Amino acid sequence: MLKQVTYILNILFLSCFTLWTVQAQDPVPASPQTEPILLIGGTAHIGNGKVIENSAIIIEAGKIKNIANAQIIKLGDFKGKTIRCEGKHIYPGFIALNTNIGLTEVNAVRASRDFDELGAINPNVRALIAYNAESKIIPTVRSNGVLIAQSTPRGGLISGTSSLMMLDGWNWEDAMYKADDGVHMNWPQSYIRRGWWGSSRGMEINKKKKKDIQKLADIFEAAAANAEGSRSPNLRLASMAGLFTGRQRLYIHTNQVNEIIESIRFAQSYGVKKIVLVGGRDAWMAADFLKEHDIPVILAKIHSLPSRSDDDIDLSFRLPYLLQEAGILYCLSYSGGATGSRNLPFLAGTAAAYGLTKEQAVAAVSANAAKILGIDQTTGTLEPGKDATLFVSSGDALDMRSNQVEHAFINGKAIRLSSHHTMLYEKYKGKYERGE
Amino acid sequence: MNQLLLFFSMMGMALWLSAQSTFPVAGIADEREGFYAFTNATIVMAPGQQISGATLLIKEGRIRAVGKDVSIPDGAVTIDLEGKYIYPSFIDIFSNYGMPKAKKAKKESHQQPKAQVNSLKKGPFHWNQAIKPEVEAVELFKTSAEDAAAFRKYGFGAVLTHKNDGIARGTGCVVLLGNDKAQEMVIKNRAAAHYSFKKGSSKQQYPGSLMGTIALLRQTYLDARWYIKTAGKVESNVSLEAWIKNQSLPQIFEVGEKWSVIRADKIGDEFGKQYIIKGAGDEYQCLEEIRSTGARMIIPLKYPAPFEVSDPYRAMQVGLKEMKHWESAPSNAAYLEQAGIEFALTMAGLKKKQEFIPNLHKAVERGLSEETALKALTTIPAGMLSMENELGTLEKGKIANFFIASAPVFEKRHIIYENWVNGKRYVVNNMSVKDIRGSYELAFAGNTYPLKATGDVARPKLSIHPDDTTRIPVKFDLKGELINLVFSFDQKPPRKMIRLSGYFEGRNWKGRGQMEDGRWIDWSATFKQEPEEERSRSKKEKSIKPGDILLPFQAYGRKALPTREHVLIRNATVWTNESEDILESADVRINDGKIVAVGKSLAPQGATVIDGTGKHVTSGIIDEHSHIAIKSGVNECTQVVTAEVRIGDVINPENINVYRQLAGGVTAAQLLHGSCNPIGGQSALVKFRWGQSAEGMKIAGADGFIKFALGENVKRSRDNRNKRYPDTRMGVEQVFYDAFTRAKKYQKETANKLSPIPSRKDLELEALVEILEEKRFITCHSYVQSEINMLMHVADSMGFKVNTFTHILEGYKVADKMKAHGVGGSTFSDWWAYKFEVYDAIPYNGALMHNQGVVTAYNSDDAEMGRRLNQEAAKAVKYGGVSEEEAWKFVTLNPAKLLHLDDKMGSIKVGKDADIVIWSENPLSIYAKAEKTFVDGVRYFDQEEDQELRQYIAAERNRLIQAMLAAKKRGSKTQAAKPKPDDSYHCKDANP
Repeated sequence: MLKQVTYILNILFLSCFTLWTVQAQDPVPASPQTEPILLIGGTAHIGNGKVIENSAIIIEAGKIKNIANAQIIKLGDFKGKTIRCEGKHIYPGFIALNTNIGLTEVNAVRASRDFDELGAINPNVRALIAYNAESKIIPTVRSNGVLIAQSTPRGGLISGTSSLMMLDGWNWEDAMYKADDGVHMNWPQSYIRRGWWGSSRGMEINKKKKKDIQKLADIFEAAAANAEGSRSPNLRLASMAGLFTGRQRLYIHTNQVNEIIESIRFAQSYGVKKIVLVGGRDAWMAADFLKEHDIPVILAKIHSLPSRSDDDIDLSFRLPYLLQEAGILYCLSYSGGATGSRNLPFLAGTAAAYGLTKEQAVAAVSANAAKILGIDQTTGTLEPGKDATLFVSSGDALDMRSNQVEHAFINGKAIRLSSHHTMLYEKYKGKYERGE
Repeated sequence: MNQLLLFFSMMGMALWLSAQSTFPVAGIADEREGFYAFTNATIVMAPGQQISGATLLIKEGRIRAVGKDVSIPDGAVTIDLEGKYIYPSFIDIFSNYGMPKAKKAKKESHQQPKAQVNSLKKGPFHWNQAIKPEVEAVELFKTSAEDAAAFRKYGFGAVLTHKNDGIARGTGCVVLLGNDKAQEMVIKNRAAAHYSFKKGSSKQQYPGSLMGTIALLRQTYLDARWYIKTAGKVESNVSLEAWIKNQSLPQIFEVGEKWSVIRADKIGDEFGKQYIIKGAGDEYQCLEEIRSTGARMIIPLKYPAPFEVSDPYRAMQVGLKEMKHWESAPSNAAYLEQAGIEFALTMAGLKKKQEFIPNLHKAVERGLSEETALKALTTIPAGMLSMENELGTLEKGKIANFFIASAPVFEKRHIIYENWVNGKRYVVNNMSVKDIRGSYELAFAGNTYPLKATGDVARPKLSIHPDDTTRIPVKFDLKGELINLVFSFDQKPPRKMIRLSGYFEGRNWKGRGQMEDGRWIDWSATFKQEPEEERSRSKKEKSIKPGDILLPFQAYGRKALPTREHVLIRNATVWTNESEDILESADVRINDGKIVAVGKSLAPQGATVIDGTGKHVTSGIIDEHSHIAIKSGVNECTQVVTAEVRIGDVINPENINVYRQLAGGVTAAQLLHGSCNPIGGQSALVKFRWGQSAEGMKIAGADGFIKFALGENVKRSRDNRNKRYPDTRMGVEQVFYDAFTRAKKYQKETANKLSPIPSRKDLELEALVEILEEKRFITCHSYVQSEINMLMHVADSMGFKVNTFTHILEGYKVADKMKAHGVGGSTFSDWWAYKFEVYDAIPYNGALMHNQGVVTAYNSDDAEMGRRLNQEAAKAVKYGGVSEEEAWKFVTLNPAKLLHLDDKMGSIKVGKDADIVIWSENPLSIYAKAEKTFVDGVRYFDQEEDQELRQYIAAERNRLIQAMLAAKKRGSKTQAAKPKPDDSYHCKDANP
């Protein structure tokens, strides 16, 4: 039986190879949608928990015009391109939050790092304008189904302002989905590692914590005052004004339970309207607090070791389930960096293996992320009227065993699935085929 | 050299035999015989030997007689010790008394320290600054009246002192704790040689890791042997000469944790040395292993303070291991005694010496016998120093080192009155001092009040307690039989004072006094009971039964090691990795640690049956590249070639990630040295036998492997300040040519038995020769095609083979060449772009290498990914379309082949090791979970048991937290709760 499955899979792969051969070309940005597209026969994972088997999805002018069971929907007069998706799975484009995609190319090459500005308080630096649309990392990420990313600065106490980017485009203006969506704050930790890298590093109590919190208090105090009064020419203060009107979100990066509460109370005390917790390793322990204050959570990479030796060994894997059960709005992120973001679908797979239903897991990388970002009116689910940002996988996209993206669309544009990786693959496969 | 030795020992004898002195007489000579008779005492002559109503006679610093029927000669000063006790004074065998104070360690910085390549000690000494066997404690020794008094206060009369600085620390000398001239106090020069795993004040780079330290010690033993053979003709080396000379002394090795006891002992075994090992106080956690070393131990009585656990969130930062150690540390000595391990006790490590006696009492309350405790402070250290004829007991002819106490030393109420050193009196507490501690009823002016005397016997504190919450301090003055109290009941100034004056009547006091208003009154204080606090505490202590000793001593440890099972797994999907591929509805039976049957409808033959319906059964995952479970450094970064260091020396078997890997179906791994130098250290091949010792984890009979590395990590050109050769890939090639050229020369030289100069065994070159002789195999960290190609060329021209390229992210570019060389590839599934040399790393690498016939594996290099290697294997299916059967081999059979373990592991075949995993579904799926993991037929992980262990951890934590809160309430000082990260490394660690 299994052999048969393997055989079928192999055939599937072969068909994929043909696809790739066609696509063994530069992953140039896609052109705008010119004709309606019909995806028919696939299993549509809506993103809101629902599934439509044997679905028909009509894409027009970059939007999902209609989606329903293929037997219900009227297709008689459809003119355009039809893509048959029998046996395949269709998902809303996955959204990778809290990444530094576009801001880094090769992490160890300092000159290619554009995400960590000097100084501790940098609310005014903007990821948007540093976003490198040409980054070779981008095509490798989108070809696994991740189609939107939050390009996020790092470092310091306030890292800067992130933007939401579509993972296709000629330049940052082209790729921009939502500019300057929020400011990122790293809450000072209670414990820090001591010693230089590589020496035996114990943990010690962070003696700078009080001082750092005071630094944050100083800037929030001044920024809050500025938000109410006339605009100050001070760039730092001006860049934070949106936090107090609700135009922008404050992303608080922290993990420990008492720091989660401490940092959120801190932000609230200055009148910050929309707060999002990022990291949130202990968020499940502060569930009541988070729920009461309506704070959503962007979980850091759940493919992580538990932080404490006594923790349940699968605690990281179960975090999504724990938040789901607690009724907290949350989503998953691959906080490890740009290149790893292509594994975001598999974080959802793990979440499904450890308590979530598969559709809850899909939501955790699509609809939930869109809600947290406030872009759920336009994206995050496969619903009529929303952006046609979606992809077709030959199998379950949450499992590496079956994640094979055959088609992906961003605003209806059929994006190329080739990448630096497929090109090198074809190049050297060809070398061996030629026997050279 | 031997003459020198004789001279020194004669000098030592000279001090012994004559009371004469080399010093000129200043003024009028005042030499006294020190002739004393102590009568009517209870004398503890030796541990377990006590006589009452006895006499001790001393003269000229020596014991002349001891016993019941000792007649007191004329001229002896008689001291009546009716009701008092005499003990042989204690010996601390691990001390730095009288040594120059060690330089204060600089505060650790977050910057890598500046490189110091060579020793700063100029002259014909050892090349490494931490090897200083030439240090002679006697040459550094100065008496210190203050420090000696601090020892004497707690009954000590002699110490072995040494300068505890460095790896080979030189010799120690035995000194008496009197205030006389240093010449008289030193009673044995060169009494022991000292070692440790700590570099101390040396800031020289090498060694930069524990395994480097061990390698350095090994090499020094070998160098010393060579030095003897060459008779100093090749070089003159003061350090090696001293090292050689020191070998005949007792060898004392200080370690920082229990597993290092085993590490030190192993070095000793290699060179025919049995160290006396100074432990850390955690020996009870692996008693069996400690006992099997046969080493005598020196044990500190250092107990951790309870953690501050009042905040439940902060309390979570403290691990079960640390909590349990808090509870069990005072039982350590009792455990050692029960295990029959001989040990001495030391004050070393105590923050304050005054903790010593209470901690000793605590150890006794926890079950240490008084006799063993006394031996550990007297006869055992004397024996370790071969000074049992001089110290340790009260016998005729021995040095008059003893102390006088009010009561047996194991009773809390005892007071040490006098500590006699070398026949001289040192008063600790005046013998007329009264112990007034306890509760009294104070009566005056028609009222009674509870009165308490607490604290130190010599400086007690008095207070009146009119009710439960009020405490009125009382100033008092004690002079012989008279006592005077002053206090006030007023809360605010001006406080009007009540003054009482009186005298002792037994344990009661009485007298007259004046009230605030000047009125004269009678008063009395009637003794009620012994100090309350102490009584309750000791009762409490006796009731403490320390918790379970977990194996390993860590969360998820077990109370007993699991054993081999006879199991039949029925009706499962079996991934054989053999010609049968995947068998549906098949059975696997394991027994005695081996796979004994594979097939359909097998008979149980007495095996426990596990229903495998719907499950998948595979052989255990093997991680070709792991850095977990390594103690104190994965890299010996300090030299370009460090083939001499061995990961096998520094396995930490209780790293929690071992258990976590088992939960991911991983049963074996190669623990590799890091990648910061072209030729790194030797690997350890282990199975994850959770709960076993480091030796127990090693795979017996496995081939030797060694880490090589290429590219950015070794050339360190990412660091603009790099000063270490090589800085380019061009230089990396030359390092290999140079190393193997030297190795070949060495190979030739050592083979030539006729050479006039004896060859020196060089552990670094030995390892390279092993490679040349195909006795050791290379796993080489590599990335780009040029360097991969290069090393194969070096190998071909120097006559060796590369076994495995690890990481090998551009293997796909030269897979045909790799196939031709016969080298395997162990790669990451999809890591890339984290540094420049992996910018062309592609996830299709595994498939391309595999398709070219290269034996291909996926490894983790990461403790987290290590537990999801089954999913990583699936990426070979995703990227490049490798079949599921073949992809699965990427993490099982293929790494087994690369590690030369495929005759025992890597597939489900009768006769192979029963390293078996039962999965909830297809193991390549993200939804698959390892439900049971067997290693050698032992169920080291089971999901159901895991749930029980979690409950146990939670219950145990709660119990200990409550105990710590209670301890805090009783007045224990607490220590801050903070997280303790485990040692888990990547190969790039220590390589900024």
